Amino acid sequence: MNNKETRFLELIEQNKGILFKICRIYQDDPADRDDLTQEMILQLWQVFDSFRGESKISSWMYRVALNTAITFFKKQKRRPDNEQLPENFEQLQDRHDESGTEQRLALFHQALKHLNKVEKALIFLYMENQSSEEIAASLGITAINVRVRLNRTKNKLKELIKNTDHGY
Amino acid sequence: MDIDELKDAWNNDDQNKKDLHLPLNDVIKGKTSSVTAKLRRNMKIELIATLVSYVILLAALFGWHHSTYLFNMLCMLLLIMIVLNAYYFFRFYLFYKSIGHFDLSVKNSIRKITYELELNTEIYKAYNFCIAPLAVIIALGLIFDKPISLYIQHTLINNSPIPFKYWIIAFANLLITFIIVYVCLNWQVRSMYGKHLTELKKVMNDLESED
Repeated sequence: MNNKETRFLELIEQNKGILFKICRIYQDDPADRDDLTQEMILQLWQVFDSFRGESKISSWMYRVALNTAITFFKKQKRRPDNEQLPENFEQLQDRHDESGTEQRLALFHQALKHLNKVEKALIFLYMENQSSEEIAASLGITAINVRVRLNRTKNKLKELIKNTDHGY
Repeated sequence: MDIDELKDAWNNDDQNKKDLHLPLNDVIKGKTSSVTAKLRRNMKIELIATLVSYVILLAALFGWHHSTYLFNMLCMLLLIMIVLNAYYFFRFYLFYKSIGHFDLSVKNSIRKITYELELNTEIYKAYNFCIAPLAVIIALGLIFDKPISLYIQHTLINNSPIPFKYWIIAFANLLITFIIVYVCLNWQVRSMYGKHLTELKKVMNDLESED
């Protein structure tokens, strides 16, 4: 393995959380998540030379990984997203006993499934503590537009979480 | 629930610390099981199948005895087909190279890939429309070489016009070919890229709408 490959694999290992989080938001099926992770790593490798250190490595990774996730060709034979069952109630109840935050996070992930691809990207970047300007640069829209969309999407999420919570 | 309160839990979630159970060395060499990789593999198979079909066509052309008229005509048609094929495969090679460049902003990347995908499906349709009648004429020329050769010689020696019924047969053959190609192509393109293209356009429209 050459030096460049070693550096790249170290980088992936250090930042694998970014990939896992994006996969979890965009794909429900574990096999689809694996496929998407592979595709994101491949795309990152193919543009690895274009990273010159002018921006943060995480910003560069967000951009490539989100582009890959949004344009990902999902396998047709698997069960579509809208037929996926939510995490079962008992699992959530168990988590609730351990920690309320875990249950809230699980509900949050359930609600995220109902957002469209752009809204998912917005919320992901927001949760990663990116500023409006950084989100705007990643998505290619204006910072004002980011703030408006974020408020709207956060409200939509709150509604979704409220409904999911009452459903249980 | 306040979403901001979840940020810590989001960043410290144990699910993000699990091991990557992937053959990373294979992944960076492009050996992924994703559909994009599958499309690239299909493209390679299509190229190999085209090359094999050319070998068969050339063997049939040079291996069997044909009249000089027919041989010259088929050689010219084959040359046109090769040039069209080379152009098409070069275009698709550039396309599959470009879908790896995802370091632009989401809006620019989506715009680029949507444009490339739409352009290349149209090129694919146009290419098949050009190739189909040529392929039919070459195949008919190779299968019915004797009667066609005799007919060409007879027509040229007597300098007589082609009878109307032959025009009708040729026209009907080409028309049927075009209809079959049109139906198959649209079905193939829609099933391969249609859903994906619609989804990309939806994302693009969403990103372009200002609030």
